[in-house]
Amino acid sequence: MYGIFMESYVIFKQYGGSGYLLVLFAAALIYLLFAEKDMRKKLPVVIAPAVILFMYFVPFTRIAFVAIFDEATDTYYRILWLLPMGVVIAYAGCKLFAEHRRIGVVAVSVAIILCGRLVYKNENMLKAENLYHIPQLAIDICDRISPEEGEPRVRAVFPEEFIHYVRQYDTNILMPYGRDVVHWQYYNAVYETFQKPEVINAEELLAATREAKCRYIVMYKNRDIDTPLEDMGCEIVDTVGDYNIYEDPEMVD
Amino acid sequence: MVVLKALALLFWLVIIPFLMGLSVQWILPITKKTAGITFIIGYLLSFCVFEVIGIPCMIKIQYSAFKYCTRIFVCAELLIALIGAINLVQKLRYASRSGQFTIGVDNSVWNKVKTGFFLIFPGDEKSEAEALMNPRTDVRAIRLQCSKEGLFFWGVFFVILGFQLVMALVKAPFDGDDAYYVVESLLAQQADVMNTIIPDTGVSTPLPMRHAMAVFTMWQAFIAKVSFVHSTIVAHSVMPLVLIPLVYLVYAEIGRILFSRKPDSLPIFMIFVSLFTMFGNTSIYTAETFFMMRTWQGKAMAANLMLPLILWAFIWMFDDCRKPGYLWKEETGGGKVFVRNSAWIILMMVNMASGIMSSMGTVFCGGLSGFLAFLILIYTRNLKIVIKIILAMIPSALYIMCYMLIKMQ
Repeated sequence: MYGIFMESYVIFKQYGGSGYLLVLFAAALIYLLFAEKDMRKKLPVVIAPAVILFMYFVPFTRIAFVAIFDEATDTYYRILWLLPMGVVIAYAGCKLFAEHRRIGVVAVSVAIILCGRLVYKNENMLKAENLYHIPQLAIDICDRISPEEGEPRVRAVFPEEFIHYVRQYDTNILMPYGRDVVHWQYYNAVYETFQKPEVINAEELLAATREAKCRYIVMYKNRDIDTPLEDMGCEIVDTVGDYNIYEDPEMVD
Repeated sequence: MVVLKALALLFWLVIIPFLMGLSVQWILPITKKTAGITFIIGYLLSFCVFEVIGIPCMIKIQYSAFKYCTRIFVCAELLIALIGAINLVQKLRYASRSGQFTIGVDNSVWNKVKTGFFLIFPGDEKSEAEALMNPRTDVRAIRLQCSKEGLFFWGVFFVILGFQLVMALVKAPFDGDDAYYVVESLLAQQADVMNTIIPDTGVSTPLPMRHAMAVFTMWQAFIAKVSFVHSTIVAHSVMPLVLIPLVYLVYAEIGRILFSRKPDSLPIFMIFVSLFTMFGNTSIYTAETFFMMRTWQGKAMAANLMLPLILWAFIWMFDDCRKPGYLWKEETGGGKVFVRNSAWIILMMVNMASGIMSSMGTVFCGGLSGFLAFLILIYTRNLKIVIKIILAMIPSALYIMCYMLIKMQ
């Protein structure tokens, strides 16, 4: 039981990051516990979150959660979504500075800013290059190989950096593997021959791509390969950015 | 063409939900008949109707399921919106005939628009100073005016909101799950399928039940299809512009009850909530991170729209507890059953709509509803609560039963 409790505690710590915002939340909750006299507000905004927080740490909750949500990844942290942290902090802030609103606005805002972390500073928050919010390079490559209206769909091999984006732009481009293979490390012959080796074995790669019926291979210009794909019968359709687009004539039909 | 697409988006994302909200506005007590709440229940209704249409289409129709789903849903939305529009016209015509637009000295167009607006949304009408001075006025039934300072704070909040909306457009958060959720929407739009193609590769697949029941991706695909905008643009660029304000609208309603007697505190509350949302990125797991970086994904909306909606419904119910009888009667238009239980009906709708967001959302919303209902039961000692919460949870129970049945097959 202690082990399960500690697991919950570690998840809680990971959820809170630096932890300052959780401290602010706890402080707001404790303040409201004493300051809020109206039970009609206290019960849903103060008592309920306090009980949920307590229940989060009870090992039986975690056991029940794992039993109900039979998922590959641990999503127990989502129980913490039930805590209305923003509402509790904001309500406590308003109540605490009810008589000194101007000071309160500044003080609580500064506290939230200092305790939290700006979402736009997240390393995954990139600059949008278009309304699709996917890299323009991916779009340019897709536009080059996308089948015309009425033509059959095409299958293309993309380097790992593009696999999340290709089918968000055009579902008429099929892929031999997607992010599932990368994420879960499933075996995939094309991925094994194209992405994993330091130096690609061209013969093995083409055997795998032909088996998977790939018409195009998109490859970084300076990617190490034992024999250039042109020498193996492929044609360079175009070069977009730093990527060559090869077409395998055997797969055209 | 761009203008037409923008107009189509405006039609399907603003006008239709608004009219849909008007069609069921009669369930609300007078004080809650506001533009904001009408918009919220319009969206809830849209999600609920989509669940009822989308899931059977997905399960029962083998080929071109999304095409049929779109057709049926278009008809359903237009029909409900039409009812709302008829309600609206009837109210305005009745008011016009009874001379309500010509009462008073000021006969300007602006005054007529204002009169018409408050006829449709009486809950938005703020009381004049004279009403407060009148000893017969019950201050608990009126909405107070905001001071200049309050208006300034509202301005600050709208600046923060505007900043967040601009950032939602100019920033592109990377999330691996988009390769699943956004592609599911795009597949529906481009290939007319409902979750029967593996998004990663494009190969056909049986329905993946873990995700398929959460048809929020299909709802977005519907918006994309009827507005002729690429699904990925709808998800990444359009949805945040609609869903972020919608979520704040819910928080504003929460704040409106918490600060019913201190209207100047409401904008401050909203400033704090919006800052918390923006600075809540303490890890990749927080609800706020999901909200700002994956706004278009069902689980983000389950955490940031559905759960606050449940909190709002219960804060509303708690607020209604032990209200003096005469006030209760005034608010509920004589105490009609539906109006007296409007918060419970909304709770039922939230529980139903949470199903389209994520299957986990259904369990979370059901669990939170049950727990808060237990607290309200203890507080009121009214056993009718048990019946009400059972009725409000029926959609969640049906959803889970459906999920289990299909999973077992």
